[in-house]
Amino acid sequence: MNGNALAASRGTLLWNRFKTFLSKPYNVILLLLGILVTFTTIAPIIAIVRDTLMIHAGTIDAHLTKRTSGFTFVNYIDLFTSRLAKTNLWTPLLNTVLLAVGTCIVSILFGGIVAFLVTRTNMAWRKYISSIFIFPYIMPQWTLAVVWQNLFNSNKITGTADGLLASLFGINMPIWWCKGLFPSLVVLGLHYAPFAYILIGGIFKNMDANLEEAATILDTPKHKIMFRITLPMIKPAILSTVLLVFGSAMGSYPVPHYLGLSTLSTRYFEMNAKYTGEASILAIIMMLFGVAIMLLNQISLTSRKNYTTVTGKSGQISKINLGKAGKYVIAVILVVVTFFTSIFPIISFAFETFLPNPGDYSFLYTGDASNLTTKWWLTKENITENGMYGQQGMLFNPMIWRAFGGTLLVAIACSMFAGTIGTLIGYAVSKNRRSKWANYVNSMAFLPYLMPSVAVGVAFFVLFSGEKLNLYNTYTILIIVGTVKYIPFASRSALNSMLQLSGEIEEAAIIQNIPWFKRMTRIIIPIQKTSIISGYLLPFMTCLRELSLFMLLCVQGFILSTTLDYFDEMGLYAFSSGINLILIVTILIFNTLVNKATGASLDSGIGG
Amino acid sequence: MKKLAVVLLVLAAVVLPIFANGDDEKAAAPASEKSYVQQVIEQAQKMTFEELAKKAIEESNGKKLYGVGNSSRGKSALPLFIAYLQGIDASYKLDFDWQQPKNNKIFDQLTANSLKSEGTFAVTLIQDGNQIESKMVQTGILDTFIPLEWAKANGTTAEAYTGYLPLQTLNKVFEYNCTGSKTYDNCWDFVLPGEHGQFMDIDSEIVGKNFLYMLTAPKYAAWLASAFEALSADEKAALQPTIDAVASDAKDLGLDANGKYSLAWIKLWVESYNAVSDDGPICNNLVQASATDQFGLLVYSKLRSVQESASVSKNNIKIAAYQDGYKGIGGYGYCHYMFVPDNSPLPWTACAFIAYITEFVDGFSAWGKDIGGYSSNPQLAADNEAKYNHSTGGDTAEGGPFPALNDRGYDWWVSAEGGQLVLEDPEYCASVAFTVGSWIEMLTKYSGK
Repeated sequence: MNGNALAASRGTLLWNRFKTFLSKPYNVILLLLGILVTFTTIAPIIAIVRDTLMIHAGTIDAHLTKRTSGFTFVNYIDLFTSRLAKTNLWTPLLNTVLLAVGTCIVSILFGGIVAFLVTRTNMAWRKYISSIFIFPYIMPQWTLAVVWQNLFNSNKITGTADGLLASLFGINMPIWWCKGLFPSLVVLGLHYAPFAYILIGGIFKNMDANLEEAATILDTPKHKIMFRITLPMIKPAILSTVLLVFGSAMGSYPVPHYLGLSTLSTRYFEMNAKYTGEASILAIIMMLFGVAIMLLNQISLTSRKNYTTVTGKSGQISKINLGKAGKYVIAVILVVVTFFTSIFPIISFAFETFLPNPGDYSFLYTGDASNLTTKWWLTKENITENGMYGQQGMLFNPMIWRAFGGTLLVAIACSMFAGTIGTLIGYAVSKNRRSKWANYVNSMAFLPYLMPSVAVGVAFFVLFSGEKLNLYNTYTILIIVGTVKYIPFASRSALNSMLQLSGEIEEAAIIQNIPWFKRMTRIIIPIQKTSIISGYLLPFMTCLRELSLFMLLCVQGFILSTTLDYFDEMGLYAFSSGINLILIVTILIFNTLVNKATGASLDSGIGG
Repeated sequence: MKKLAVVLLVLAAVVLPIFANGDDEKAAAPASEKSYVQQVIEQAQKMTFEELAKKAIEESNGKKLYGVGNSSRGKSALPLFIAYLQGIDASYKLDFDWQQPKNNKIFDQLTANSLKSEGTFAVTLIQDGNQIESKMVQTGILDTFIPLEWAKANGTTAEAYTGYLPLQTLNKVFEYNCTGSKTYDNCWDFVLPGEHGQFMDIDSEIVGKNFLYMLTAPKYAAWLASAFEALSADEKAALQPTIDAVASDAKDLGLDANGKYSLAWIKLWVESYNAVSDDGPICNNLVQASATDQFGLLVYSKLRSVQESASVSKNNIKIAAYQDGYKGIGGYGYCHYMFVPDNSPLPWTACAFIAYITEFVDGFSAWGKDIGGYSSNPQLAADNEAKYNHSTGGDTAEGGPFPALNDRGYDWWVSAEGGQLVLEDPEYCASVAFTVGSWIEMLTKYSGK
């Protein structure tokens, strides 16, 4: 009797605790989104693990096991121990790590130096340089690789047609400059340098200069100030850049593909036909790197878990005087460099769309306008043979415009879903910082971002190619994958901004009995709108030119990036360049609109 | 402990459904129980096109047809097919969507599609006989339909014919830039020391790997051996060490006496070719005046789309096999095959479409208007040539003459006395994919000077 009464009271107690738990909206959010992100993160991983154990008809596992279905470990054994282990695994793995590390170094050095010059010196034209510097991130990453090829390839060295440097000046760059690791890490480094620029610049801009000034008064040598004061202060930003760039560089497919470097992601595609299960193991290895980076980051930042951090509130920022000439000399150097990384590609794309044949620069040699054409834009039919490879001009090409519509749909949907879910996670985690569940949800939501895009794409392809759930080549799968991958943009942004918000503000509203929804829409969101909008803007812009994540999930003509890649691979550079222009213009228009409407933008006014 | 239990429960909830259907991948239907699509095909193979067309109209009027193919031109052929059916029934309407996956994804796409009880794709146009055999046909995912008139034109019947249905054979041929004085008069010239031909990487376009497999077949090994004998003493001396070095491998792989020539050519080619993303860029490179002495192995038809300009010309190119005195293989050929998925939602319409493009000049026109693509229907091939005059097209082309555009036709290309085209044989490719194929994968690809 007593025992029953005790049991009932325990049950009641538990029920009451549960009800109390659910009475707080952020707990409900954490519970629901925790379940959601657990599924969207774990399920694809399990699906791909399963794929490594499955026997695939017509591939090496079927050949070695003499079976056409079932499960086996033979893929693991063959990948790690066969005579092809070096070609299929170890060399690509080494190249991948070198590429990721090299990309981090280039992006941090380049982005960090420019951030320093823009925020901490009196360099001329800072606003222009700040705006133009983020262009490589706006453009699809492999467009710089194509520009690199067009500049440096030569008949003599790469065995292709002469690029601009060889044809105009007779300069033949060495092979290590044209193909392989070096150009790949430079191109990716330039592409991701805006990350470092935004993160490090954010700290530089808000950093209290008192410490440096105190050191200067004490006659501390400049290099010592740099290494003992400045660099330690930007360490979190550097770690954040490594965190964001390492996984992205690892999972990059198009850049190493175009520049001839064998990495895990390029090898995945090469092996997939005959070594399907082994290729999936490569995807798992890439994922493991993502998990390892996250764990390392947890260890190194146990005390503060901010990734896109803005430290301090001091308004004292002393600008280093570069001297009358110095401020212009350095600015000119940066203007020239950013011309080649940001402006030249756009001019080159625009020019390419008027060439009679892909890569045919006859106009430059002859000055004869008859060596230019508008056919790539204006041709209305695809019946007549007119050197268009059966395509209509871009303005009338239904495939391109359908892809444009698809891209906008995917980008807007991903932005909305990722932005909203991420913001809610950021909000709920900030309210439960000490809760292990909150930390778990936070980490689980961030994990897909650290996993290489190709690996995430592979995992979702495998997951959604089943009998009951077959979403290949649908916008649904692109939106799901894009949302999962880009939630961290919003969750990190929201978490950082929510942590800056004192709890008293919301508590005051609670005392006034203002419902949660109203508190969010009338108080929390308006106060932190810039950060929250960034959480919507980044997924949108990243989605617009994302390829590695989506290329396995849909065909060309579905979204612009896969269409662009298709035309690039086909050698129809006029189309790929035109699509690039369309993408860049679209992103700039949206960025400007959002900036005008809300004040938020990619570079967040660092150069302002 | 409780936490561990919760974690395990969560994992189990996620894992179990995923592994649940582990071993139940679609298996081929037993021979005695024909699927609905196979039953349709059996009837369709006995019908004339007009009868088939009526069945297609009944089945698909007002519906949507999904096709998937390695060639984007299915999209161009479908409107002509629909227009033809509308000639029979003016009220006929068919919406369509034609997809062209890249990166070998067509096989994954068709495999995923096969898991559904009723698939999405009604019809497919697919290349790479090796993978078709091992992944699509042996697994029962795709069914072959042989149109009545096609069979008649080839002097056979659907019952007697045992292969797949090729829509066309495409050729990739050796072409070289002729703005310099260098000539290539033997297929071994392309693998001499210092030569680096442009070629789509064999790991990104698998039919290129099939070409290398086929070189080890006795017929083509003999052609290589014969071409080797025609080389000068100096050239032979440069190549002989490689041939000697692979002789024991050829024996181990069970190749015939000429197999060592095949392996030597393959080794020298893989270790020297310059990988390019597609045939289009190869063509764009080779036609430039600055590409002196470069060569490539690429789809012949790409040349057609080159526009003349100050530094680009179709006359900057020569087709190696067309030059007097050329010895040895002139390139390779592979097929675009037509199949009906075993769970096709519109099997009658698929069969009618396949019959239309393999029996009618208009149906084949999406491909037939180009050089370098040869219909498998001899009557259609003749009619197509009469309509498009590919054999003399280069002489009359605007801005011509362009001798390289004068296509000598399928019979010339495949003959021992003509182009010595190496033709893909799916069964042979599948049989050596893990012997010769693994040997090829051990070679170190060229990565630049």
